[in-house]
Amino acid sequence: MKKKLMTALLSAGVATLALSGCGGSSSDSANTADQKDASTAQESGSTAGSEGVKKVLKFGQANAGEGLDMQTSTNSRSASIADEVTESLLRFDDDNNEEPVLLTDFPTVSDDGLVYTFELKQGVHFTNGTELTSKDVKFTFERMFNPATAAKSTAYFNMIKGAKDMLDGNATELAGFEVVDDYHFTITLDYAFAPFVKNLGTSYADIFPEDACTEAGENWGLGTNLIGTGPYKIQENDDTTKVILVKNEDYHGGDVNLDELQILFYDDDQTKLIAYENGDIDLADLNASLLSQYKDKYADEITAYYPLGTSFISMNLKDAYLSDVNVRKAISLAINREELVDAVLNGAGIPATSYLNNGIPGHDDSLSVYEYDPEAAKQLLADAGYGDGITISSEVRQADQAVYSAIQGYLAEVGITLDLTVVDNATYNSDRTAGKIPLTGSTWNALYPDGDFQMYNYFYSSKSNAQGVFYDNADFDKLLDDARKSTNEDERADLYKQADSILSQEDYACIPLYYPQSQFIAKPYVKDFKVGNLIYHFWNVDVDPSAQN
Amino acid sequence: MVRYIIKRAFLAVGIIFSISLITFFILNVIPGDPVAAMLGEFADADKIAQVKAQMGLDAPLPVQYINWLTDLLHGNMGTSYFQKKPVVTLILQAFHYTAIMATAAYIVALILGLTAGILAAVYHDRPIDRILMSISAFGISAPSFWVAILLQIYVGLKFSVFPVSGVSSPVGYVLPSLALGTRYAASISRITRASMLEVMGQDFVKTAYAKGLYQRRIILIHIFQNALVPIITVIGTDIGALLTGSMITENVFNIPGIGKLLIDAIHRRDIPLVQGGVIYVAAICVLIYFIVDVLYAVINPNIRLTKGE
Repeated sequence: MKKKLMTALLSAGVATLALSGCGGSSSDSANTADQKDASTAQESGSTAGSEGVKKVLKFGQANAGEGLDMQTSTNSRSASIADEVTESLLRFDDDNNEEPVLLTDFPTVSDDGLVYTFELKQGVHFTNGTELTSKDVKFTFERMFNPATAAKSTAYFNMIKGAKDMLDGNATELAGFEVVDDYHFTITLDYAFAPFVKNLGTSYADIFPEDACTEAGENWGLGTNLIGTGPYKIQENDDTTKVILVKNEDYHGGDVNLDELQILFYDDDQTKLIAYENGDIDLADLNASLLSQYKDKYADEITAYYPLGTSFISMNLKDAYLSDVNVRKAISLAINREELVDAVLNGAGIPATSYLNNGIPGHDDSLSVYEYDPEAAKQLLADAGYGDGITISSEVRQADQAVYSAIQGYLAEVGITLDLTVVDNATYNSDRTAGKIPLTGSTWNALYPDGDFQMYNYFYSSKSNAQGVFYDNADFDKLLDDARKSTNEDERADLYKQADSILSQEDYACIPLYYPQSQFIAKPYVKDFKVGNLIYHFWNVDVDPSAQN
Repeated sequence: MVRYIIKRAFLAVGIIFSISLITFFILNVIPGDPVAAMLGEFADADKIAQVKAQMGLDAPLPVQYINWLTDLLHGNMGTSYFQKKPVVTLILQAFHYTAIMATAAYIVALILGLTAGILAAVYHDRPIDRILMSISAFGISAPSFWVAILLQIYVGLKFSVFPVSGVSSPVGYVLPSLALGTRYAASISRITRASMLEVMGQDFVKTAYAKGLYQRRIILIHIFQNALVPIITVIGTDIGALLTGSMITENVFNIPGIGKLLIDAIHRRDIPLVQGGVIYVAAICVLIYFIVDVLYAVINPNIRLTKGE
């Protein structure tokens, strides 16, 4: 009996270990490498101060879990890694100024605003050794519009002539892209689109090497299958726990300071901060919900920055109550934005004065924070025939729960019952797209300082339906159309200022709440790290190994 | 015995098939469109419809299910919508971490639980029994995530004894194993004690004592072995739960195991991954219960002779 029992127990144990072994081969090697990396990092610390010490920075962030192909991911966390490896023709620096990277200069544009002429830098190589040529750029854009790629951000480039034909499966070549020679090409648009060059500076337009990308096929962006012209190259990537980047010694833009950049994935914010305290990571983004817990203890190590975004109440303007501008204005008057930012966000934000973020040209600096006047709000509701109170349904994501619980309280004081439901992202996205959410919270970030990015895709009449807003104002649309056609940036800023005034001061088509603050925490030996917008870049950062543990 | 095993095996396959069917239809009726989730905030209705058609998600549900089942029978669980990798690969990767953690945790649980249970039974109603059972009551009541955080802060962070998170080296599994293992040790100790006390009152034990056998032999051979059936039931259930992932503990210790993989998949409506994960969970549970059933029969032959086995 005893033998039988032991045999059975051992069999079960062996089966478990065998199953474990099935999935373990690649991870085993990753773990071994982990230990090696850990010891390497330790060594660099222990030999601090001596010449030739390897400069290693360990950065903690959540894993986007979408791969690093920025044609199929729109996640800023993916971009923070991908942007170190792959480059677009132009880029935005950490002060949000655009600069040519793979080009000799900014492209020239024809008088009608339709044809852009580009000149590539010569002698730029991908990290697999092949030289960047116009063919790679053409390949990149044709891959983006190939329906099989299922690229997510085609909306920012589909004004290129022939893009829609490709997306519809009616063409396999991009008609608007002409290769002149290895270093010169032109792009022709269907219509004048002033922000086009800015869109080319986003991660979505990262340039891929044709041969390597074609060879990788569906695995492009997974593991080490991402090759670019950037300052780093991928040494190791298990897509799950970490990505290790090492310096691209032949970088066309000169040496970066770091020898190695380790991106370690922590999905739990609290765990990430404990790892920071323990010295496992040198740098991490810091969720606002943890700010109160850490701001006193690590005051000198926390740096705040302001992405180009606005948090606002997004409304379905076809809703029985919310279609009335007086109800929308009453909601705005009922909310004390300064108190909301201080009490709920621990001060991590700037109370909004209009929809356009205060870092975007066209933001009206003369405006004050939206008025808080509950009595006026009650009066407006009474005048609109809702003096007995109304109930509005609302779905928000968990990240917005605290803010909207507070808003629920503000609205209750003026007679509006907010029926608040917290839903997950998937439910939120599909319900909002289907126009099923009367009122919700949204934060719309611009990847660069331009009103078009922040306004067009959310509020332009033909686009706002997809956001479940159903805003339709011909004057507003015309201002956005004119701004797209104009090549004069001052004139464009003025057009966005007028559009913003209609959107958020007259129509109250959205109710801006605050411009969110973000923050990162970095050890004192991390130098020259700066974040200008959503995406973290490691082009200029340095570490002092002599101070590193 | 062979008939018994074949019957149980057929039952297991039927259970997995039923679960796959139920899961498939539930996933397709709950709120949250996977394509809208996948495409994010840039997507409009046309784009969503276009991608759905590309992915075959515009076909009637029964057709989608048959396609999925056909692929499954060919060993293909599909590709994750977000991670863009085969579901089988992702599950095996996560299982690697979960299996190591589960094995380590259960070794902790068995050592602590069986020792405490046997001691408590032998020293029934004495101070050692009361102390051990009080500790086990605390162990059952204390949530694993709370124990995990305490261990992380006080053992990992304050004293730097073990890594606070991550499993880049084997010692990284120590704290998660303790956090999970102590919880399961508590339940094992209680069932061991109760089961042994029940057996200790039976006549054959009195006879063994009357025959003058050594107490250690009586406890370990006569009492413990006869008390094993309920203990194995608990062990089976526990191992099933551990191998199907411990989301919170995995999250606290940053372990990319099965629990974390599946919860993320559910949040994002990554349907192929959720379906594959549910099949995995069902298969593990069914396999564990199958092993437990067989063990019953090995330990107590009366079980397989029972009518309606």
